[in-house]
Amino acid sequence: MKQLIEISKELLESRKAGYIIGYTEDKFHRTKPFIAHTTNDAEKLTFNQKAVHNLAVYLTRLPKPKEGKIGIVAKGCDIKAIIGLIQENQIKRDDIIIIGMNCNGVVKDINIDYNKENSQMKCSICELRTPKHANYIVGALEDFAKSELTKNILAEFEALSAEERWKFWEKEFEKCIKCYACRQACPLCYCEQCIVEKSMPQWIDSSPTTKGNFAWNIIRAFHLSGRCIGCNECERACPVNIPLSLLNRKMGMVAMKEFNYRHGIEPDQPTLIGNYNTSDKEDFIM
Amino acid sequence: MKNFVITREQLANLASKLLGENWTVISPSQNGSKYLKIKDAKDLIIDSALKPTDISMKEHFFPKSETLFFFKRKKDDYELIDAPGSEAKTVIFGAKPCDASAIPVLSKVFNWDYKDEFFNKRVENTVIIGLACKFEDENCFCTSVGLSPLAENGSDIFLIPLSDDKYFMKPITDKGRDFIAANETFISEADNISEPINDFSTPQKRFSTENVKEWLDKNFESKFWFNAGETCIGCAQCAYVCPTCHCFDIVDEDCYSCGRRVKNWDSCQFELFTKHASGHNPREIQGKRYRQRVSHKFKYYKDRFDELLCTGCGRCTRGCPVSIDIGLILEDINSHFLETINVNN
Amino acid sequence: MNIYKPELVEIKDIIVETPDIKTFRLQFKDPQLQNNFTFKAGQFAEYSVFGEGECTFCIASSPTRLEFLECSFKMYGKVTNALNRLKVGDTMGLRGPYGNYFPVEEMKGKNVVFIAGGIGLAPVRCAIWNVFDMRSEFKDVTIIYGARTVADLVYKHEIEEWKSMKDVKTIITVDPGGETSDWKGEIGFVPTIVEKVAPQSDNSVAIICGPPIMIKYTLPVMLKLGFKEENILTTLENRMKCGLGKCGRCNIGSVYVCKDGPVFSYLQLKELPEDF
Repeated sequence: MKQLIEISKELLESRKAGYIIGYTEDKFHRTKPFIAHTTNDAEKLTFNQKAVHNLAVYLTRLPKPKEGKIGIVAKGCDIKAIIGLIQENQIKRDDIIIIGMNCNGVVKDINIDYNKENSQMKCSICELRTPKHANYIVGALEDFAKSELTKNILAEFEALSAEERWKFWEKEFEKCIKCYACRQACPLCYCEQCIVEKSMPQWIDSSPTTKGNFAWNIIRAFHLSGRCIGCNECERACPVNIPLSLLNRKMGMVAMKEFNYRHGIEPDQPTLIGNYNTSDKEDFIM
Repeated sequence: MKNFVITREQLANLASKLLGENWTVISPSQNGSKYLKIKDAKDLIIDSALKPTDISMKEHFFPKSETLFFFKRKKDDYELIDAPGSEAKTVIFGAKPCDASAIPVLSKVFNWDYKDEFFNKRVENTVIIGLACKFEDENCFCTSVGLSPLAENGSDIFLIPLSDDKYFMKPITDKGRDFIAANETFISEADNISEPINDFSTPQKRFSTENVKEWLDKNFESKFWFNAGETCIGCAQCAYVCPTCHCFDIVDEDCYSCGRRVKNWDSCQFELFTKHASGHNPREIQGKRYRQRVSHKFKYYKDRFDELLCTGCGRCTRGCPVSIDIGLILEDINSHFLETINVNN
Repeated sequence: MNIYKPELVEIKDIIVETPDIKTFRLQFKDPQLQNNFTFKAGQFAEYSVFGEGECTFCIASSPTRLEFLECSFKMYGKVTNALNRLKVGDTMGLRGPYGNYFPVEEMKGKNVVFIAGGIGLAPVRCAIWNVFDMRSEFKDVTIIYGARTVADLVYKHEIEEWKSMKDVKTIITVDPGGETSDWKGEIGFVPTIVEKVAPQSDNSVAIICGPPIMIKYTLPVMLKLGFKEENILTTLENRMKCGLGKCGRCNIGSVYVCKDGPVFSYLQLKELPEDF
């Protein structure tokens, strides 16, 4: 981690960066997000296989630094969220310094060490182990034990009948406690006033009843269509283990199939919903 | 004081009998996520070494959503209809001390001058069978908040394992004694068996709550809070999984002509929690909201009710997506306090 | 007993005070409740619009006039906008009274100064009429009230009544630029006018309510005039929900606005952390 610390110290000392969003390890060996404001703080920065958190979530939540840009430590997959935010005009590329990390896979459960079973599915098929769009690339690429893609969960799920799928989601959404952890953990959920917070009128019930839960989770999936970059932080944050990634991946596949679109690839690519193209399909309009 | 012994098999038989009599029977779930209503005695989980469930036991006393009353419009007039409330006789098997002890703590705020009958009725109708705890990890700190693996607070009956399939059974309250008397066919007297408390270690205290309170009394404006809450993403999971967090929202639902008023879990970690209609928000940054959380638990509740609003179960840390550890923060506050004493000396 | 269930009240009269402020005159549907209901000046209640929610306002009428209960509200959000759509004869809900109250008994034998700004006159008004209904028990009474413009003044007809009372000094002001061509009252911000009027501080109690910025600049004037900190009273506003000390929303440090307030003295305010 020497390289990461050296770069961070230099950025902070020269005031090129006002603060750096990174990871640190506490005395119980938990890897967690950490904001380094000083060179002393920078000594605490680290990166390892437990660095699963998508730090891009802080880009729209922390106040801007008084002086300098925002430094951010990011894996290749996290950078997709950053690019997505740039595409949506939430941040400017010039306002951030991306310290890209060569990545050797990250855990599913942050309380257990990395192993083949405790590895994110997305890591098995990752093509961004060396990140793109970064100002710096740090760290060494090493072989790592990949989780086996034993089945295509989404395809299996889609093979169920509509009635079976409905029953599945009824059971899952009954668990929802409307804590909105999924929304808070998502880097692309940055609306200053979320639709659930709009009270005149109250579009979505705030109560954790099955009706309110269905409405909330489906609206969120819709609002993320063509915008979700698949980091899975929502599912990781959910305290009642609702398989939210199924919903988001489905919408991602629709965006790909119908519009050949994936979010967070190139900063100057026009966004899916935010742009009109004369060649867009209109077969669903009467 | 008479004590008793019960075997694992007899506990399952007791559960079957109660299920047959339409009792609601609750035990920690198989997958460790919550305290679940079981339908069959074979789903009963009684395990001292169990990790605390992801979500606490409080939902059986203070549900995530509770109808307060229904309203029906009749021309210009309204009819208000009471919600049925919970009358079901309930028993909770295997409640951890850090869960059971939360109930008398919550009782204080729910009976502060005005009595919340929704909460009280559930407490009245529930027998809590606590279970001594053999679990410990870096997230929990029950001994630092005045509890322990053998804490009986909140339990009506307390079980301490004598072996893999036998339990020492201690009645704690009158309700517990009555329950044992009503089910004596499943229970044997303890005779010469003494309480097996020596099998239980007492985890070391990590900080002093007196020190923490003294620091909190004087450091409202400290920059400490800005740093402590900086990486918090405001997801409020900590409040929802917590056995003692009790903040709630009241909303009307459905429509004007017929609907209901409902009480839902809420949290001081949400930005909107304290936002005035004028737009002013006294706790506009996450650091201030985090300060409210810790101060409410270790100072304000103590000031009002002489109780801590925390049982040291560690759920908030285990569930936090960004691993904010309230235990480490309290250790930090303890150190800061000790530094100020040293400086003054 | 369901502490969250309101009693039904009927809107007997609606007075439009300003373009965005109305006063409702309410009566309990159950006449026995109406006869038995009592409260003290300064207390608040939770008013329901069924289907929309509840809102917290002070009871703006005096406890000495119990024929109706009155509340005044400004249109800010969901419930207040719903209240605005109600008509005379409609049914609402009311839960209360909650909170502490102005120490009217302790104020007897003293001079009383009422200072208010905008809709802040509503919580003060209940104390004003309470004092007037026992006028002989108090010494000098001064009312200093201001709003942004003439149109924003509330209780306009009552102000005229107070102005005509011989044993009350009533000074009304509007912010500079808020006057109309025929305005005969003062022009100036409330703190400035308070300094100009300079009510005597000896053996006096002051009740001040209004927007936070008005209170912020009026307090130093009061202290300069010699008012004791424990004799300057105000009502605090914070986001409230249950009114019963349970939902955890309104606390300022260890102090709960719904239980220890809404009436606080400046001496108590000084001790509070900056959490409101």
